[in-house]
Order: sequence, then structure tokens, then C-alpha cells
Amino acid sequence: MTGTAWRARAIQIGFVVVCVLGWIYVGNARLISPIFLPRFDRVMTELLRIVSNGTVFVYLGVTLFELFAAYALALAAGLTVGFLIGRSRFWVAVFEPLLNGIFAVPIVIFLPLFILFLGIGIESKIAFGATYAFFPIVLNTIGGIGAVDARFVTVAQSLGATRWQMFKRVLLPAALPVIVSGIRIGFLIGFFSIIGSEMIAGLDGLGSQIVQLGEGMNTAAMFAYILFVILIAAILNTLLSLLQSRFNRVAAAS
Amino acid sequence: MNLAMTDRAGLRLSPGWVRAGIVVLAVVAWEVAGHTILDPEFISPPSAVIAAFPRILADSDIRHAILVSFYELLAAFGIATVAGIALGVPIGLHRFTLRSALPLVLLIYSIPQVTVLPLFVLYFGIGPASKIAFGVSHGIFPILLNVVAGAQTVEPAHLKAARSMGAGRLLIFRRVVLPHMVPSLFSGLRLGMSATLLGVILAELYGSQAGIGYYTQVFTNSFDPAGMFALVAVLAVMAIILNEIVRRAERRASFWRVTAR
Amino acid sequence: MAFAGDVAITVEKVSHAYLKGAQAGLLQTLREVSLEIRRGEMVCLIGPSGCGKSTLLNIIGGLIQPSTGVVKVDGRVIRGPTPNEIAFVFQDNTLFPWSTILENVKVALEFQGVPATEREGRARTTLAAVGLKDFADHYPHQLSGGMKQRASLARALALQTGILLMDEPFAALDEQTRTYLGEELSRLLAKTGKTIIFVTHSLSEAVFLADRVIVMTARPAAIKATIAVAGAHPRGPAFMASPRFAEQRNELYALLRDEIEKTVGGLVGEEPEEAAPPMLAEQRG
Repeated sequence: MTGTAWRARAIQIGFVVVCVLGWIYVGNARLISPIFLPRFDRVMTELLRIVSNGTVFVYLGVTLFELFAAYALALAAGLTVGFLIGRSRFWVAVFEPLLNGIFAVPIVIFLPLFILFLGIGIESKIAFGATYAFFPIVLNTIGGIGAVDARFVTVAQSLGATRWQMFKRVLLPAALPVIVSGIRIGFLIGFFSIIGSEMIAGLDGLGSQIVQLGEGMNTAAMFAYILFVILIAAILNTLLSLLQSRFNRVAAAS
Repeated sequence: MNLAMTDRAGLRLSPGWVRAGIVVLAVVAWEVAGHTILDPEFISPPSAVIAAFPRILADSDIRHAILVSFYELLAAFGIATVAGIALGVPIGLHRFTLRSALPLVLLIYSIPQVTVLPLFVLYFGIGPASKIAFGVSHGIFPILLNVVAGAQTVEPAHLKAARSMGAGRLLIFRRVVLPHMVPSLFSGLRLGMSATLLGVILAELYGSQAGIGYYTQVFTNSFDPAGMFALVAVLAVMAIILNEIVRRAERRASFWRVTAR
Repeated sequence: MAFAGDVAITVEKVSHAYLKGAQAGLLQTLREVSLEIRRGEMVCLIGPSGCGKSTLLNIIGGLIQPSTGVVKVDGRVIRGPTPNEIAFVFQDNTLFPWSTILENVKVALEFQGVPATEREGRARTTLAAVGLKDFADHYPHQLSGGMKQRASLARALALQTGILLMDEPFAALDEQTRTYLGEELSRLLAKTGKTIIFVTHSLSEAVFLADRVIVMTARPAAIKATIAVAGAHPRGPAFMASPRFAEQRNELYALLRDEIEKTVGGLVGEEPEEAAPPMLAEQRG
């Protein structure tokens, strides 16, 4: 890590520490009703409790199951469709504006439909998450292949590459970094949409648990769950960036 | 590069027409399926959706809901724009503020916002305020980050030239830095607009008694898919029009950048 | 009162060094350069790439401060940009792409502090003088490279300064265009009697334009030699065809040859200005 990156990390950690200190102070001074902002130590106790007795992992399991099912669907569909379209400039010109246009409309408005069709259980969450994750994957796959330097293609053509060789040796390797970044964005968007759909209409999973605790005015527990989800998101995000940078290094080296 | 596809007979197809054809084909297929295999309690053919427009637009409650959503969206977008620029310009302008404030912005941006949606309702209530606040929390980041990025694109040669001609700080800001920031500000506005819309709709779906998001749930629960689709179509049209306005403004503002290099 | 032939610019023992990085340490670009330039004189600075010619020019114009030594214009020490006396023409890319040619010249006058009511008239007059009257409402990207440089020249001329500092203004152009613009500049010189310092890479350009060519050494740059070129402006194709022109060009190359060898052999680096980060608040001291 460079000096600037360390500095940025230090500033971020300092900020979090200041926020926590402020939170503790507000709690001690009783400036805000604990229904709106529960005391820091109560939230921590609650967080420790749900982690140590394992309740939180039951909900996490449900959410992660939905996420991986949705992601598998989105990945399969997004990469297949992306490659099929991306191989021809003509079909890119046909479909890219269409997909971009659909993605610009907030798909969340269709969430009631997903629930209408698939019920309030995990199926609607999986379908909804898969739909949201599909778009970044397919758009980056198309975009990555479309952005390949035309000179590489010309060189390969002049050397007599077949269509398949062109795809395997030129288009795919050159487009991979962009595709991988789409795969990563798709995963995160999928995660957030699943949490969101659980919140809006769900019976199980982390999102639904947060809402139920909020409705029961059990704010301390709700905060504990929210912090847990933020933590999980940070861990998933870090893992994905590590994977991505390792992948880019390997791709650059080969 | 010529993107038209030429088939053996020499017929030329433009991507735009093929795209339109695909859309028409999809609508026709939907219509046919709507009359044959689909359950009318769950999905309505396009003709039924079109027929539902006068009905839902005649309902004063729904007209009111559309207005509420529109008001929430505009208020949230306005606040996000003003705040995004007010924070982004000073952050982007100096190396010190950039280095110290940008990590904080990125840290807050990295928090998955849906998870804190219940907090917005807790703090701002179930009325429009929580929708606006949640919309702002979505819209502000693309705007802010693009303003910051725009300040980074300032051409050093232009700064040097301006300095050689005697321009002071204020003039350099107005005549050199600001023009550089405008194109990326507008891309920020476009992204911020769809993000704001997402935030507002999410908040409406989560908990409210007004707005389009609320009524889509009402229609769904009363097995009136035609009404629901019509309402979604109204929202989609709203989104597309707003998006198009900002996109045109973006293109106008960055004409010199597109063609210059 | 100032007269042609007076000393217009004095460079006294100017050295310059900048901090290249924690490991690289200080990098010296100029070593005790002293120089006098008379009013109405056309001086070309030539030297190996990256030797510090542009740095010297930027110091004379007050855009960079020397580490030691001073620059005086009409006896006054230069401490910063002096737009009422010195105008710059840079290599390229310094016309604002979001403004028309006319607006570009008007903004320059705004920078210089000319009252708003006078800007339009002065800008139009100058554009007409360089033959860009019909292109006033064009954007830079609509013009050819040669026309863009003519517009940059117009922007500098509009400032109505006695001194013009030109930093490889034609370097990005093809040779034919560059030769043609050189002739134009020579005519302009004859007409206006401006004092010009012109940084160039081109041997022919230097001999063609200069009253005096100053040859610089490899970095850290010092003055290696001075060649006087006889011949009144405006100069034309006949000047370029004369045996004297070829002779002086060869003489110049012989002087430069060793220095280029030193440069190509190793120490090639960028000049500090090009490495400057795009920050408004940054000012290299």
C-alpha cells in the first residue's frame, strides 16, 4: 500500500473513532432518547449476544443462500447474453441502449410484481436479486468486449485469426478486467437488493429481521443487526477487491 | 465504422430499427400471452394496461400520489445537487481537502444504504421527509464524486496560460476550473437523478401511505395488474423524461470535450 | 522612454533546481545563466530536449521563481507573471476548448485586466491582423493545427506587450506549416519591433528567425555559445536558400552535437513544468 493509501485509511479509522466517541458521549449525556439512538454499549452487548448465541447466523444463512442462488443465475445469464451480444458490433448497437435504458428505470418499482408472482418467501428475493445483478454483469461484458482496442483486432485479422481464435486470444483477455469489475458490482448490487427486498416484504433473512426489530421498537437490537450487515458488506467488498486485484495481476502477467 | 448489417440480398438494417422491432415483437408476444396462457389476476396484456390509464388518472388519490412522488423526487434531487456541489467544489479544489475529506466521503458511500433505511423512517417519520432524505442520501454521492473528479481534470497547460496572462485565483476558478468541472458535473447529475429516484421509490415501498410506490403495492394486493402496470409506466415515463433532460444538458455542456480529442 | 537597442531583459546568474522526489533529491536544471536581450531583438534558445530551455523561459516570464539569481525587465525585477509587459505563446493545447477563438482572446484581455468595453474591439482587430477574422466564432477543435497556433499568437498579441516569449510554438506542426508560420512571424517582427525569445528544437527555425541564437548545454543548462545571424526581417525563402544559412545551420549542429550525445547517452528527463500536478492551489516555488 502506498503512503497516500495509508493516510486515507488512517483518516477513515480516525473518523470512525470520533463517531463512536460522539455516540458514547450522546448516550451518557442523555441528549437523545434511546429509542432514536440507543447507547453504544447496549448495542455492542446486543451485537455480542446475537453473534455468540448464533441467532444472527441463522438469518445470515438465509440471506446468503438467496444471494448465492441469485448470483449464480445472474452470472450465468449475464455472461452468456453479454458474450452473445458482445461478439458482434451490430448486436451491441441494437441491445446496449435497450439494456441501459431498462437499467436507468428503478427496477425496484417492479418488486411488488415479483412478490405477486413468486410469493413472499425466498423465491421472490432470489429473482429480484438476480434481476438487479444481471444488468451490471451483462453491460460490462458487452462494454468490455466493445472497448477492446481496434488495433489488436486488426493485427489478429492480418495474422489470419479465425473467429473463435479472435474471441479466445484477443477479445476475451483484453475485455476481462472490465468484465470482472462488472461481476463484482453485480455481486454487491445483488446483495443490497436482496436485503432491500427482505425489508420491504419478507419473512426471513437479515433485512426482514432489521424491520421487525424496528417495528417492535427494539432499537438497540436493530442497530446491532444493521452494524452486522454493514460489517458483512465490508467483508464481502474487501474479499471481492482482493480477488479482483489478484485476478488483474494474473491477467496482466499472462 | 458502419454498423448496418448487410444480408445477402443487400438489404440494410440499422440497429435502431432492429431494436424497435425487438421491442414491438416483445409487446406483441406479451399481448398474445396475456390472452392465452397468463393468469389475468397476475399479469395483464398491454392493451389492458393502456385501457387502465384513463381509470387510474381519473382517480384523484392516484393523481395526488403521482404528484407526491414527483415532489419528493424533485426536492431530493435539488437538495442533493446543491449539497453535492457545495461539498464537491471545496473538496476537489485543494490537495489538502481532497486528501483528508475524500476518504471520508468514500467511507460513508461504502455503507450499504438500504440497511439504514429503517433509520430514515425512524428519524424522519413516515411522510415525505423520510423519502426526500433517503433520496438525497442516494443522489448526493454520484454528484459529489463527479464534481471532485471534474476538478481533477483541469489541464495544467490551461492553468499556466491563464497565470501568464495575469489571471488571479478568482478568475482562474471562473474561467478555467469551472468550465472543466461542468461536463463531469452533468454526468454526475444524470447518475444522481437515477440514484435519487431509486432512493425515493425504495423509501415509498418500505413504508408510506402516499406516492407511486405505495399505490403499486395497493394494486398488487388487490390483484389489479393492469392498474399497477399503468402506474409503473407513468413512473417509467417520468424517469425516462428526467433522464433525457439531464442527458441532453450533459451533451450540451461537454460538446468541446467530445469533439476536442 | 525606451528605445530600440536598449537592454530590455537582463538575466543575472539564474540557477534553478527542484525537488524531484525523496529518493531522486534535487535536480538542477539551470546553472548560472546570464543573458542580455536588447529591445526589438529576436533571440532563439536551442539545446538538447529536456535541457531547461523552457524552464528558463518560464523564469523570464515570472511563471517559475529561480532558485538563485534575478531576471529584470526594464530594470525591474520579475517576481511573478507580468502580463502588461510579457505575453506567452505555448506549444499547443492552451486555447480553451470550450470557448470560441474570439472568446479566447477576450478572456485573455479579461485576465490582463482590460476593461470589458474595450475587449471585443481589441480582440477583433488582432484576429483580423493575423488573418483569422472569418474564424472568430469557430471553436479551437474546428481549426487546423496551424490556425490554432495563429490564434494562440493572436491571443498573445492582443495583450499588446513589448515582449513575447514563445515556447516551441510550432513544435506540434508539420514542417511545411511551421516554415510558413516562421515567415509570417518574421514579417510580424519587422512590423512591430517586439522583443521575442523563442525556444525551439529546430536548427533551421532557429537560424531562420533569430538575430541571435543561444546554444544551451545539456542539463543543468548553461550557455554554451551565441551565434549572431545577420539579415534584416522580414526574411523569406531567399534567406533560407542562401549558402550562409546552410553554413550557420551546420555550425549550430556542430555545437549541439556533443550536448545531444550527453543527453541521449543518459540524462533525459522531463522539465518540471510538465510534471506539475493539475492542482489550482499548487504553485511551484
